[in-house]
Amino acid sequence: MDLARELSALAAHVEWPATPELRLSLEGVPRRRSRRAVFAAVALAAVLAVGVAFAVPQSRAALLRFLHLGAVTIMVVDELPAAQERPLTAGLGPVISRADAEALVPDLLLPALAPEPPLHSLGGATVSLVFELDGKPVLLSEYGYGAGFIKKVVSGAGSVEFTSVDGATAAWIPGPHNLYLPGTAPRLAGNVLVWERGSVTYRLEGPTLSRSAALELARSLRHV
Amino acid sequence: MEGRPRAERELVLRAQAGDARAYEELVHPHEEIAFRVAYLITRNAADAEDAAQDGLVKAWRALARFRAGEPLRPWLLKIVANEARNRRRSSGRRDQLVLRAAAASPGEAAPSPEEAAVGAGERGRLLAALEQLPGRAREILACRYLLDLSEEETAAALGVRLGTVKSRSARALEKLREAYGPRA
Repeated sequence: MDLARELSALAAHVEWPATPELRLSLEGVPRRRSRRAVFAAVALAAVLAVGVAFAVPQSRAALLRFLHLGAVTIMVVDELPAAQERPLTAGLGPVISRADAEALVPDLLLPALAPEPPLHSLGGATVSLVFELDGKPVLLSEYGYGAGFIKKVVSGAGSVEFTSVDGATAAWIPGPHNLYLPGTAPRLAGNVLVWERGSVTYRLEGPTLSRSAALELARSLRHV
Repeated sequence: MEGRPRAERELVLRAQAGDARAYEELVHPHEEIAFRVAYLITRNAADAEDAAQDGLVKAWRALARFRAGEPLRPWLLKIVANEARNRRRSSGRRDQLVLRAAAASPGEAAPSPEEAAVGAGERGRLLAALEQLPGRAREILACRYLLDLSEEETAAALGVRLGTVKSRSARALEKLREAYGPRA
């Protein structure tokens, strides 16, 4: 008999501790909204954000189209509004423990690096880390449910390329574009790969990151 | 049996509408497997109980986002297992031997052909070899063979991709084969 079958046969003989009677105190436990409700809220937020952004004269530009990918909304415009240039490490929030990070983003993916880069959170279901790839900095941000409204404004109709990461739809945004995170000023971002898996949206950014390197890196990320 | 998925779907819809009793009825059949998955991860019965309980309450909170008609068990196991991993990390407890083989198969009059082939002594030795494997290898084999979870359920419970379950299972079996050694 092979080992797998021996293990299956063993199952009936394992002494498990008695399953306790679980007491599910559900009274008064707050419940999250459905995806549809969240989507409606995001769509409303997008409309409001567009209204606010385009009410400012210097950021006025023609909106060409909207793209939604997980927690990220990508707006394609004909002219990029003004944004600050800041380092990747700026405004990531305080360092948090791995346990806290995994509580915020259940499907946390990390690069196989030792020592593990510090994990940061701005609050909400957002975890970010900066590490080096071939000596160049790369920012990995992961957004779970409740991460808030994340907006990217890109210039030009051909500025978003669709691809995939292990079967999940992904968007590659080469070149500069504006990143809007809740509660922070818009930042000029570099080359970015965004993809969604399950309830989490992942985002890789590196000023010198190529599309192939970003895809290879995305596929190499692991639950640790 | 055909009525079962329909009944589950109905309970999901009622629970999503806020019916706590429907939710309790919905998850009751999965409490034992949820507790055992948590036990494999935390390796402590009290932590496993807390993880299963808190995980199922979290699942209630998130139920509005569960798609009725999808299999419920992998979704529940994923949430409970995640809760168990958080508890294991925060407890800082070191691994200890927790799985033991019973002297006789409970409630069975005659052993199956597979059981007959694996005597009590060999069962103890095989379980001891399994216990000595590194955590990930042990967990994946225990989920697949001792808890009889499908590959999809194992992937959900351990927070890995389906392909990882396949490759890691094969490697874990190889490690177990080395640790188990030749049969008596």
